[in-house]
Amino acid sequence: MTLKIRFTFCFLLLCQIILAQHDSITKLKEVVVSDNNLKKYSDSQSVLKLSDSIINKNEALLTDLLKFNSTLYFKEYGRGMLSTVSFRGTTSSQTAVIWNGININSQMNGSTDFNTISGSDYNSVSVKAGGGGVIYGSGAIGGTIHLNNDLSFYNRFESDLKLDYGSFNTIGINYKTNISNKKWSAQIGFSNNSSANDYKYINKYTWKGEQRWNRNGEYNIFTMSANLGYKLNAKNTLKLYSQTSNTDRNTSLITETETPSKYINGFNRNLLEYNGDFGTFTTNFKTAYIFENYQYYADNAINNYTYGKTESLIAKADLGYTLFKSTQVNGIIDYNKTTGTGSGFGTNTREISSASLLVKQDISASWKNEFGVRKEFTDNYKSPVLFSLGSSYQFGKLYNLKLNLSRNFRIPTFNDLYWEPGGNRNLKPESSYQAEVGNVFTFSNITLTQTFYYIKIKDLLQWVPGKNGIWTPQNTDKVNSYGAETLLSWKKQFGKNILAVNAAYAHTISENIDTKKQLFFVPFDKATAAVVYSRNRISANYQFLYNGFVYTRADNDPDEIINDYMISNIGIDYDFKFLETFKLGLQVLNLFNEAYESLENRPMAGRNFNMYLILKF
Amino acid sequence: MKFSKLFLIALSASMFVSCSNDDEDSNEPQGVYDNGFLILNEGSDVKGTVSFLNNDLVTFTKDVYGPNNNNDNPGGYLQNIFFNGDNAYIISGGSNVINVVNRYTFKLVDKIETGLKNPRYGVVKDGKAYVTNANTYSYMNPETGNTDDYVAIINLKTNKYESKIDLNATANRLVLENGKLYITEPFDSTKLLVVNIATKKLEAPVEIGSKADCIEEENGFLYILRRPSGNRSEIVKVKLSDKSVSKITFPESLDGAVYMDIEDDKVYYTVGNSVYAINANATTASTTPILTATTEGYFYGFAVNDNRIYIADSGNFGSDSKAFIYNLTGTLEKEIAVGIGPNGFYFND
Repeated sequence: MTLKIRFTFCFLLLCQIILAQHDSITKLKEVVVSDNNLKKYSDSQSVLKLSDSIINKNEALLTDLLKFNSTLYFKEYGRGMLSTVSFRGTTSSQTAVIWNGININSQMNGSTDFNTISGSDYNSVSVKAGGGGVIYGSGAIGGTIHLNNDLSFYNRFESDLKLDYGSFNTIGINYKTNISNKKWSAQIGFSNNSSANDYKYINKYTWKGEQRWNRNGEYNIFTMSANLGYKLNAKNTLKLYSQTSNTDRNTSLITETETPSKYINGFNRNLLEYNGDFGTFTTNFKTAYIFENYQYYADNAINNYTYGKTESLIAKADLGYTLFKSTQVNGIIDYNKTTGTGSGFGTNTREISSASLLVKQDISASWKNEFGVRKEFTDNYKSPVLFSLGSSYQFGKLYNLKLNLSRNFRIPTFNDLYWEPGGNRNLKPESSYQAEVGNVFTFSNITLTQTFYYIKIKDLLQWVPGKNGIWTPQNTDKVNSYGAETLLSWKKQFGKNILAVNAAYAHTISENIDTKKQLFFVPFDKATAAVVYSRNRISANYQFLYNGFVYTRADNDPDEIINDYMISNIGIDYDFKFLETFKLGLQVLNLFNEAYESLENRPMAGRNFNMYLILKF
Repeated sequence: MKFSKLFLIALSASMFVSCSNDDEDSNEPQGVYDNGFLILNEGSDVKGTVSFLNNDLVTFTKDVYGPNNNNDNPGGYLQNIFFNGDNAYIISGGSNVINVVNRYTFKLVDKIETGLKNPRYGVVKDGKAYVTNANTYSYMNPETGNTDDYVAIINLKTNKYESKIDLNATANRLVLENGKLYITEPFDSTKLLVVNIATKKLEAPVEIGSKADCIEEENGFLYILRRPSGNRSEIVKVKLSDKSVSKITFPESLDGAVYMDIEDDKVYYTVGNSVYAINANATTASTTPILTATTEGYFYGFAVNDNRIYIADSGNFGSDSKAFIYNLTGTLEKEIAVGIGPNGFYFND
């Protein structure tokens, strides 16, 4: 099924799109999105789309993009190191990362490390808040992050190259070429982001009075992508998405004397997709092979490592049928076989099948309803029936009301089930009920989205020490997460001057029901803001982040917190127009040299600089 | 994700448990932290702490290291403290460092930052410290992880690492008697290692069986507690003069005995949450507990000193845990919140 992006984007997508000036050019041309269901079944929820022009204004790795442009909170083990997310007060394995429609959270630990992904490998990154289990399966509780490669079908031969050079010898090369005509489309690219990452820790000195700095923090992330599309005819399309990546990172030292270690991880993803669009009837078949692995060297001095790897084979059939003009139905069956082998958990295989039904009903242009139900079948755990109910009603031009209710889950990982010693094969999935109410106000150039949500999670998985000293995972806690998200965007043109403002604020309560304590590493408050000003060939931007304090312990010990921090970045670039685009830019990151950390004893970088060159030809 | 590392370190740190080192007496208060005892809190891979409680069981300081030293980090997984003169030496297993502080003021004197790799326990003789080092672990280094442990020799005048004695085995706790180190290790070793510190050479080891950990010297004998899995716990007595071995085998109800300390000719040992005592010359074990403690986790540190029994509760390793102080008849005298993973008591008298 193809979506001709000639309509104005849904109001719910507005927030960031307006920044993407170049979108206006491509809007009239046919672009095939990689994940139909993301657009089709998200009328009743909020989706923030970060297009390539926003991606380009941020540091290379996905953590920075999302940290400064969304309500997501990240816990980072230092700059460029392991980075895990908390979305709406949930844990790192309760946010699913979706690559072209396929859930790619690690089968081993359930989460995604956002510092192993560079944003420029994708055409857009979308942040969908709230439950998505019916469509995306495990982990879609707090929300889903979508990494999308969209294929264009028009005459095009275009290359994008971005070169970065910054402080701490941080070097980025990001290249993408699009070659397409009405029948064929190819998007081929690679990215390499590396850094010596030897930044100074602001105001931190050793006991001898020596300046402390980030030792053993080097990283290198390489990714290669090739995406192909072929239209057999007007009705049948074949697509192949392929991506390979390798992240080679040392792990920053906490003390100067500890043993340096390193962590290497990578993935290979291949997705073959067939689309048939026969009017009232559509078919979509997907076959995917996903491989992930890691090697952990506890001691850089010896060439031994522990490792883990998983291979997943996924087959998915999605049949769509238009019942009436207003009502569409999708029936999806899905099969997933994952085999994992690791020094910690031996070799195990698990098979999961699922069946789901999605219904979308557009009663009128202003009233849309969604309904979905999914059931998984597996020997590994008892799977609840997941469901989703949503409605969106547009009251005049000004106000859009959205309601969504869903049940979602997160399945135990290979580590949870099979780790030796301690793995627990009798775990239940974490499961949640959640409800949200979204209010979208649109007046002239301003869009204000306000969402209130409530999530009740039970059977939260936690590794706890047993009496014999062996840690084992248990379904221990129940959590209530509730809060409000506010997104604001505004854009105005005064003659040749274009000014755009985006802001987001999240207030989050995530409370253990038994202890009444806030979950650790969930900030009560987080705010971001971005201002972009452009005139002719000059563009300047300012980014702001406020991250409220977090508790570091489950008992909310007031002495054990990480202080709040405020970070500002500024950037300016000029387009020399030697080519279609020839932008030279300079960024000052952490402008006010704020000493901050998101995890105790893991200081982040102070003021630093980045130069970049963006070429389009 | 460093899952495997964190997990395994937490696991290994939690299983290497601590006995106590009794130390010499003095009467004049020589600083704020005299006439009391230190509670070592293992902490996390990032950082541990040291607490102090006065013998009056009232005056308490939760963290005596950081606040006295510009919030310096003593290192992760604090394992052991040993003393020499006015100095205390705090071993950080996670950070390969020994913090040298004045034992009465806790002001940092020096740090021993070289020659250590996963250091465990230390003893002192004639101005030299002998510190066991686990070096690499077999899960990460299958070839030599179980044979590369060593004793680091540190000159306490300069606080510098001098040399090492390779043990060709695993090593954990140790005592020093008559110029010899006696070393146990509960995971891979079935032997009591014997090292002559004058020649820096290994002598013939003594076969004592698996899972031997706590070791104490009393009246010319080494008392070693072992808890073989699926088999009876026992105290192995090694006569220092001729290395002859005798045993006190425990009944099945005392399987899994973990800690032992000897005080005033009595051997105290723990099974589960209970503490038992026998005379040092007894030949059978007592099955009547002196006390049974209620803890959140399991016993993680144990000592008997000057008419008191000291117990550390492992807690949950995520938030502050507790220490319990009983008198010798099993009456609780004090329960106090300390740091994360308290694992030992060290007496500043």
